[in-house]
Amino acid sequence: MTVAEPLLEVEHIGKSFGPVKALRDVSFSVRPGEVVALLGDNGAGKSTLVKMISGTLQPDHGRILFEGQPTRIDSPATAKKLGIETVYQDLSLCPNVDVVSNFFMGRELCHKVLGFKIMREREMQAETEQALRDIGSHIPSVRTNVEHLSGGQRQAIELCRFVHWGGKLVILDEPFAALGVEQTRRGLELIERVKERGIALIVITHNMLHAFEVADRVVVLRHGIVAGDHETATTTAEAVVGMITGNLMRQAVA
Amino acid sequence: MTTQSATASEVAPDVPRAIIGFVLDHLVWLILFIVLAVFSAAIDQFFQIGIFINILRQATFVGILSVGLSMAIMAGHMDLSIESVMAFSAMLAALLVGANGAGLGLDISTPLTLLLSLAFGAVVGLGNGYLVVKLKISAFIVTLAAFIGIRGLGLVLSGGRSVYGLPDNFRGIASAEPLGIPVLVILLVTTYVVFSFLLRRTTFGRYIYLIGGNITAPFRAGIPVERIVITVFVLSGVLAAFAGWLLAARTNGATANLGTGMLFEAFAAVVIGGVSLTGGTGRLSGVFAGVLLLSSIDTAINVMGLPPHFMQVIRGGLVLAAVLLDSFKTVIRNRYL
Repeated sequence: MTVAEPLLEVEHIGKSFGPVKALRDVSFSVRPGEVVALLGDNGAGKSTLVKMISGTLQPDHGRILFEGQPTRIDSPATAKKLGIETVYQDLSLCPNVDVVSNFFMGRELCHKVLGFKIMREREMQAETEQALRDIGSHIPSVRTNVEHLSGGQRQAIELCRFVHWGGKLVILDEPFAALGVEQTRRGLELIERVKERGIALIVITHNMLHAFEVADRVVVLRHGIVAGDHETATTTAEAVVGMITGNLMRQAVA
Repeated sequence: MTTQSATASEVAPDVPRAIIGFVLDHLVWLILFIVLAVFSAAIDQFFQIGIFINILRQATFVGILSVGLSMAIMAGHMDLSIESVMAFSAMLAALLVGANGAGLGLDISTPLTLLLSLAFGAVVGLGNGYLVVKLKISAFIVTLAAFIGIRGLGLVLSGGRSVYGLPDNFRGIASAEPLGIPVLVILLVTTYVVFSFLLRRTTFGRYIYLIGGNITAPFRAGIPVERIVITVFVLSGVLAAFAGWLLAARTNGATANLGTGMLFEAFAAVVIGGVSLTGGTGRLSGVFAGVLLLSSIDTAINVMGLPPHFMQVIRGGLVLAAVLLDSFKTVIRNRYL
């Protein structure tokens, strides 16, 4: 991999919720086209960290640099504008509307007529069908409301969104939680494909196997600090488990 | 592809599914036509153009109120203030130009009274929206307070008295019938057409459904959720004020208790029309059918000369039937679609 300038740099970031210090002091960076697996036990602060990068939470201290510039990501809209796409664990879908509406959420294709944004439904439908075909997903009708789809199909829409809209940085929060074996394999392939386009990815996962399969680097959080930051080639699953649980921290660092 | 679970929807053939879907989506219209057919057959003198036009004209006020209420409910909120906003707006316009009663008889043009009424509705809507979105108070509480307070404000303004005797060109709006079609009916239909278009074809409408379905998702997608919700409340207020202004024209003035009970008629129409109170679903076309259904039954009772109290009982029954029908529709949908 060519050593490029970091796309995203997080510097000494911290966040408290009342007396609870979710993140104490976290620094790490992601380069374009790099896949970073963010690991850590429940409550280690992974979700809080991700929410600050995706604009739903603001850090108490520390700063975030995007493409070398100090950046305030004050809302999800700002994050989108920067090119940061997030796929949340609890899925960001509206069950009461169809697949097309979900796929294009916030990015509707439209004509502007007298200040009204009139949606171009046919084009959106065609593009949605194409995008779903591209990732090899099978949804009978993109005009079906999402509430009638299975968990796997819903996740497929979510994954399809990030592949299609990619941007510069994609954050995946437990992307394979609801997927079967075959779909997970396909999901991992999607990560590879997105990475090949030069897009950076942060993948949160509990699954060590997945982490080592797709990630160039693992960043381990423990009790709100970075307990380890290693190239996957230079460490082992065993060592990473040690970092997560706090047993082998010394050896791993050394 | 093979691992994707096969849902029931993949099994049923497409064409009957589409037909079932269409009928379910427009069930209220079917019911409306059946009811009208039954009335036409059973009631002497019912089947004539005049009666049908009257059904539409009677539906104007609750009809326009229901549009705003529907949007508020679709966005996952509600707006109880509409009835009082309507009554106050009628009183405001009538008071300014009315010649008799509490009227001031000012020499200001009719369009200006409309503008002032609409501005009042917009301000109330803005206040409602702001409190709901920024201070995160439940829309039920916020708009209930407005419902009570603004009705009182109307009484304060008029001193509890009535106003009558509006200028001819104001009154004329409610009585004019170009080509035999009342202006009120034209305005009612136009309102439904315009707002149906907004809801089904524009991003603004799409966002209302998204917000009503799962507010987190559109927020994460970068959609200005707060601005959309406030706009919905403003539109609801403006529509209510518009209905009030027309009501003043229709009644040639305003009384202290003008339009009392219309809030619940609007709620009934919206629910009968298939808008679920949980938000995110429903179509204005259904609501329109709901409004016409209520108005038809009203008219039928009038034509038959029955005491109007029956209407209350029937309305109650209809609302209950509508809710039952809704769960029945869900069952059918899950089984066959």
